[in-house]
Amino acid sequence: MPAPIRLRELIRTIRTARTQAEEREMIQKECAAIRSSFREEDNTYRCRNVAKLLYMHMLGYPAHFGQLECLKLIASQKFTDKRIGYLGAMLLLDERQDVHLLMTNCIKNDLNHSTQYVQGLALCTLGCMGSSEMCRDLAGEVEKLLKTSNSYLRKKAALCAVHVIRKVPELMEMFLPATKNLLSEKNHGVLHTSVVLLTEMCERSPDMLSHFRKNEKLVPQLVRILKNLIMSGYSPEHDVSGISDPFLQVRILRLLRILGKGDDDSSEAMNDILAQVATNTETSKNVGNAILYETVLTIMDIKSESGLRVLAINILGRFLLNNDKNIRYVALTSLLKTVQTDHNAVQRHRSTIVDCLKDLDVSIKRRAMELSFALVNGNNIRGMMKELLYFLDSCDPDFKADCASGIFLAAEKYAPSKRWHIDTIMRVLTTAGSYVRDDSVPNLIQLITNSVEMHAYTVQRLYKALLDDISQQPLVQVASWCIGEYGDLLVSGQCEEEEPIQVSEDEVLDVLEGLLVSNLSTPVTRGYSLTAIMKLSTRFSSLNRIKKVVSIYGSSIDVELQQRAVEYNALFKKYDHMRSALLERMPIMEKTATNGPAEIVQTNGETDSTILDTKHLPNITQPASQANDLLDLLGGNDVVPVIQTTVPTKPASAGGELLDLLGDLSLTGGPTPTPAPSVPMSQPPFLLDGLTSQPLFNDIAAVIPPMTAYNKNGLKIEFTFERSNPNPNIAVITIHATNSTEAEMTEFVFQAAVPKTFQLQLLSPSSNVVPALNQGSVTQVIRVLNPQKQQLRMRIKLTYTHKGSPVQDLAEVNNFPPQSWQ
Amino acid sequence: MRSFSLHTVGKGSDDSGLDQPGSEYKFFGYQYSFRISYFKMMHFLLLFSRQGKLRLQKWFLPLPERERKKIVKDMTTMVLARKPRTCNFLHWKDLKVVYKRYASLYFCCALEDQDNELMALETLHRYVELLDKYFGNVCELDIIFNFEKAYFILDEFLMGGEIQETSKQSVARSIEASDMLQETMEEYMSKPAF
Repeated sequence: MPAPIRLRELIRTIRTARTQAEEREMIQKECAAIRSSFREEDNTYRCRNVAKLLYMHMLGYPAHFGQLECLKLIASQKFTDKRIGYLGAMLLLDERQDVHLLMTNCIKNDLNHSTQYVQGLALCTLGCMGSSEMCRDLAGEVEKLLKTSNSYLRKKAALCAVHVIRKVPELMEMFLPATKNLLSEKNHGVLHTSVVLLTEMCERSPDMLSHFRKNEKLVPQLVRILKNLIMSGYSPEHDVSGISDPFLQVRILRLLRILGKGDDDSSEAMNDILAQVATNTETSKNVGNAILYETVLTIMDIKSESGLRVLAINILGRFLLNNDKNIRYVALTSLLKTVQTDHNAVQRHRSTIVDCLKDLDVSIKRRAMELSFALVNGNNIRGMMKELLYFLDSCDPDFKADCASGIFLAAEKYAPSKRWHIDTIMRVLTTAGSYVRDDSVPNLIQLITNSVEMHAYTVQRLYKALLDDISQQPLVQVASWCIGEYGDLLVSGQCEEEEPIQVSEDEVLDVLEGLLVSNLSTPVTRGYSLTAIMKLSTRFSSLNRIKKVVSIYGSSIDVELQQRAVEYNALFKKYDHMRSALLERMPIMEKTATNGPAEIVQTNGETDSTILDTKHLPNITQPASQANDLLDLLGGNDVVPVIQTTVPTKPASAGGELLDLLGDLSLTGGPTPTPAPSVPMSQPPFLLDGLTSQPLFNDIAAVIPPMTAYNKNGLKIEFTFERSNPNPNIAVITIHATNSTEAEMTEFVFQAAVPKTFQLQLLSPSSNVVPALNQGSVTQVIRVLNPQKQQLRMRIKLTYTHKGSPVQDLAEVNNFPPQSWQ
Repeated sequence: MRSFSLHTVGKGSDDSGLDQPGSEYKFFGYQYSFRISYFKMMHFLLLFSRQGKLRLQKWFLPLPERERKKIVKDMTTMVLARKPRTCNFLHWKDLKVVYKRYASLYFCCALEDQDNELMALETLHRYVELLDKYFGNVCELDIIFNFEKAYFILDEFLMGGEIQETSKQSVARSIEASDMLQETMEEYMSKPAF
């Protein structure tokens, strides 16, 4: 068998392929050759073959058949083999693979190898992708290496320890002794990785944090090291653009942040050095600014004195003026985080921030917009709004929706006058009318209704806007609603705020009918205008024309329009006595939800969830109508579908449509809006679901039988099940622990673990004493998330004190009923 | 990318009367492990060409192959779509993506929200300097034909998403020494042979 081709030869060959198919063919051929070579257990060329395999893997081709070969390479004595073997392991053998654990022994041996570079390979592999089991097995070796005097190994061991702690947090304490004199090292590599290790420990465990603060006096040590770095002269080995080891400086600053957060003493101890770094760092290059940035973040997070905070904000302000986009971006992001706490300081930079709205970079514009909204207040509302409206005019379509929502919110909070408010809304609707969110329409309508004295002005302006342009649906919808409501004011020319226009009833009806027939109008808009026309029947005198329009649409193809028209027709014919009452002026509406200033910042994409979602309603009617169809087929007259998903309280009267319209407006005062649907919409609608009584899933829960999970030594633990309604992947298990012995069980603690694919949450137990002789029970709720619908298995650990002696037991629970996890 | 961040270990409330430090059950997770919800570090590092061809991928989190492929695709699409003279930072899911173009290669890494993006740029730059020192005026072809070396160098510089060594000379010395240990010099010559 000829020697397999070299790696670089293969790379060259594959690169000559002109088509994907040609490449695939070459790769398949080579893979076949490699596979047969593997089968022959060829030691000499294994390394070459695995290297080639890794190259092909990078191109996107499967390489799983090389996994075991990597293991063989790692076990080899040759360094070249190990190097490629470990590389292959890191690329192909992550912890999800079955053979991953087989590496453990090899790594263990290599951790004790005589050559430090082999030890390094092993540490690196373990530290990049070791699984929890592996970390558990090898933590002792890592800890040993953490104490070595060899700085090459020590630094790697430190980062490896970080990984071990991330995977198995309980092992953190075993590394504590080894950290004692890490910071007295001279070697920067060791210093850097030690700081990372200490950071990880402090972040994970509040106990560690206070231990390092108080017992180890970490802050003074770090301050000393940082000071040396800044004051020391040029060090060629660590210099970056005139700054000594910026990587280390930044890590120290971050650790100081964690140590100083919420702690007065520590914060005080670091005030000086922070001020020193903030004022002395060279800012001509990115690296200096990176350090300044980290310093600012630290200052803002700890309990720094106000002078220091102002210094930090001023640094950010300077950043805003920097030519470098990255720095401007970073400044805006940080200012956004600090605007809540240091509002006044940030306000001083408002004009710079507003200028950033005109930046070319999209990310910067977005940040500037968010920050601008956060800075709007009663004093600057007029000026800010001018800028923001200008921005709205010229910005990308992606921004328009968020910007419009933000403007609405800001206007609502800080409007200096009602007229200004209405004008602002008009401006938004006319410039970005097609981008405003659907929920703005009901909000605006409510706003307009409540500004009673502005009705005439509003309807006039909206009418004029309609004359110009009927393409922007939200604008058209609001306008037609208003004309329907206040058409009489429009025609009578009562406007005080501006010159009243002369318009006749016919002209108004022309416009509304124009909306009905226009291709630009969506079905929703048509609905609005038809209703508006109907309302005008009590406000205008040209009844015949309105009657004609309404009856024409009684045979419209659009079912929604048809239904409305038919019902309105009925209003004219059979229920004419009720008509004027039904079509009266709307009362003042109460708002359901208000968004506070804090939420302006998170406005982007979030407004939908806070306001009672009108979108739910149209979605929900769909399965209802399907269920109705099913009913028809069954011919069941006596089955009353208890579908709580239809539009709420639809009285079987002709006035239904108007109440429907009220329902669309998400109000509290009128009919109760539908609560979050108890039939989850994310599942394909099972037609029959809507027919059973609510709540649906509790019925299923009643079917899941309880089970005994554990019964030993007088302690019995039963599980009862429920399914959590909003998320069918969560099973809610309640444990009931009872004690049939004569003595009570105290300090009872129940713990549970589940396989990797599950997630578990334990709520607090009812008590930790299980009374004797079954006189009571301890209950505790477990929530298990099972997205992959795998068979539920659990391991439980029980500890308690019984008759004075501690008892501990482990058990597997495998007898879960299938309904609990399917 | 980062999957569920639910509580992973059972938490007792303060009034549960349990005298455990930090009121967090320490759990033994024998064969089972929970996914801890925060890693303050780099999640991955990718190198790809202007045509979107992957040249190096380093993952610091365990992810299934399918998800990795998807992430690579998303990253390349997003970064290659960026206009020139825009800033080097992007938002993707809940991560910050930092990228920089060096000649025909894009260096791209993903960070946690807490991390310092400007420093990440310095980290990427340092890696490029290390490659440059090793290969002598490094270009994309060097990395294509000597990808394993690029990995070796990266593994001397970063581990688990964190920097191991801040001195360029130190990293270079380690790589040289490791190269010396390789038994078959002809197989792995330092300078590319194409």
